[in-house]
Amino acid sequence: MKFSSDEIASVLQQEIENFDSKIDVREVGTVLEVGDGIARVYGLSGVMAGEMVEFPNGAIGLAFNLEENSVGVIILGDYLTIREGDEVKALGTLLSVPAGDAVVGRVLDPLGNPLDGKGPVQSDVTRPVEIIATGVAERQPVSEPMQTGIKAIDSMTPIGRGQRELIIGDRKTGKTAIAIDAILNQKDTGVKCFYIAVGQKDSAVAGVVDVLEKYGAMEYTTVINAGASAPATMQYVAPYAGTAMAEHFMFNGEHALVVYDDLSKQATAYRQMSLLMRRPPGREAFPGDVFYCHSRLLERSSKLSDELGGGSITSLPIIETLEGEVSAYIPTNVISITDGQIYVQPDLFFSGVRPAMNPGISVSRVGGAAQTKAMKKVSGGLRLDLAAFRALEAFAQLGTDLDPATQAQLDRGYRMVELLKQPQYQPLNQAQQVCSLYAGTKGFLDDVPIKTVQQWEKAFLSFLSDKHDKLLSRLEEEGALTEGVVEMLEAAINEFKAGYRPTEEG
Amino acid sequence: MDNPDAVKHETVMDTGAEQLGKTYAQALLSAAEKAGKIDLVVDQLVQLVDTVLAENPQLAAAFASPRIEVEEKCSVIDKLFGESLDPLLVTFLKVMAGRERLGFLGAVSSGAIARYDEMAGRVLAKVTSAVALDDASRSSITQTLEKALGKTVRLEESVDESLLGGLVIRVGDTVFDSSVANQLDVAGKRLRSGFSSKLVEHFDQMTAN
Repeated sequence: MKFSSDEIASVLQQEIENFDSKIDVREVGTVLEVGDGIARVYGLSGVMAGEMVEFPNGAIGLAFNLEENSVGVIILGDYLTIREGDEVKALGTLLSVPAGDAVVGRVLDPLGNPLDGKGPVQSDVTRPVEIIATGVAERQPVSEPMQTGIKAIDSMTPIGRGQRELIIGDRKTGKTAIAIDAILNQKDTGVKCFYIAVGQKDSAVAGVVDVLEKYGAMEYTTVINAGASAPATMQYVAPYAGTAMAEHFMFNGEHALVVYDDLSKQATAYRQMSLLMRRPPGREAFPGDVFYCHSRLLERSSKLSDELGGGSITSLPIIETLEGEVSAYIPTNVISITDGQIYVQPDLFFSGVRPAMNPGISVSRVGGAAQTKAMKKVSGGLRLDLAAFRALEAFAQLGTDLDPATQAQLDRGYRMVELLKQPQYQPLNQAQQVCSLYAGTKGFLDDVPIKTVQQWEKAFLSFLSDKHDKLLSRLEEEGALTEGVVEMLEAAINEFKAGYRPTEEG
Repeated sequence: MDNPDAVKHETVMDTGAEQLGKTYAQALLSAAEKAGKIDLVVDQLVQLVDTVLAENPQLAAAFASPRIEVEEKCSVIDKLFGESLDPLLVTFLKVMAGRERLGFLGAVSSGAIARYDEMAGRVLAKVTSAVALDDASRSSITQTLEKALGKTVRLEESVDESLLGGLVIRVGDTVFDSSVANQLDVAGKRLRSGFSSKLVEHFDQMTAN
């Protein structure tokens, strides 16, 4: 490929001709001291809180603290080449990032600079990073389902479009895996996904991008990365920047899913900045407004009213706990902000229950309204049944003889736990979930050995998609278990069971 | 490490001292205004700092030193300045001595100048140019600025060849930059970003095959 120099020259000439020289009027200040990603600046007397400033090395800063004699600036970029006495220029605008279709499929830093080597983001649309969330009049209740493709979640803690559902748990319990599965399941639904990595290992983020690419999810996903080696200021801004990009779609009547992975690291980054800015420390040395830091972020996830196009942002914030301690400061804050939480536990995870969701203490406060009728029907008593099963299971361990009814309840419970296990990167659509949950709750699995339940389910689902495609598509369309559908489903289950012989494992 | 002040980095701006200087200057000017001798007091204060203290660093160090008793400082002030300075200014110096603030006389003096300018409706415009200004351009700059700002303008000139041409005028925290160097810089940036977007838009036209 050769570039034609004439064309290039003419474009350049055009640009030069269009350049009109004006007197550049700017508000300036002088760097008094700089370090740890923050600078104290003398001057800038007319600067606004949150206004962008520019350093001579091109780094962008954010006026963060307006003090009597100086301005505290957080530096979003290289602060090692900034010197005392450097001139700082106020840019007169709030921090904004590129948005629109140009950011989809890209891996970006929190300022919208590319990290994927695919060249600069060419977008005419920019959005301010910090805006006040929409008010009461501009919203409507959550009513549409946001399928994660995970049976345990879609049945027991359903998520609706516009909801904030926290994923909370210790390290290495599969929190990110749940979020990634939810992203994979948005394929062909038109939902734009944003994965915002805060303080993660760059290798882990590279792994996520790899998975998303492998399953074709990068076509509708944007990854915003402020890794562990990024300055605290970048980690602080990343969630807001990602939300700003998602808001473009929401305000244009589209839907977006945002994953914040994870907000405990953002709180830590914010704590670092605040302490360096000499804001007074509070509980666990977090600044007094760390609650507002998260609440104003998560309030921006909403379902807009029909007049505004009915777009939505669904968010899945992730919080990492230490030793299952949910009563620490940041976890309690975020639990109280969100519309429910998915609690993942290490003991479940290591006993093979994956996703390791504890149904007893996981809740969804609004998602039920967004469930389809079919799903509501099959999952109705599921949570309570599982809770009863857990209590019974503990009792049964004592080795007492059980009456047949109790034994049957126990057997059903073991099979349901088995059925709710789901391998990673294999989200199921709504119809598939309804079919396998129906089989489980109606007792069709009671004669299947516990160990082969997962195998049975897999074979059953492939049998359905091979032989009963109509049933699946009808379920997906109608979203309800009408009499006709139930008949077809039961017939299909019986037909499958008649011909099914479990293969030996291994 | 005999003299701690000598070690202090010169470029470090002490915003605390500046604030303190402003406060004392405000008090001094209000008192002088009441007595109706504001010009005299400011003039004497500036002279005291710029000539007497600058030429006698030992005196300045003695004023700043906390090891010298207040009474001693006051008697020195009386002996040295009792005759030559206005009684109001002498009293002010003694008040500062009493509060162990004599080391901040420099900050008070610059604070007083700024406040005095402000009261008189004057602003300081720092003009940087590539070549030294002549009288004609000086008066035209002053007139233009006075018209634009609605205040009397005092010019402070400096020469910086790297500007290549044009002027950089700074009034307070606002900079009016018409320098050739800055315009080249802006044009260069716009050319780069404009070109890259055009390149993406018309990629087929620019490539030969």
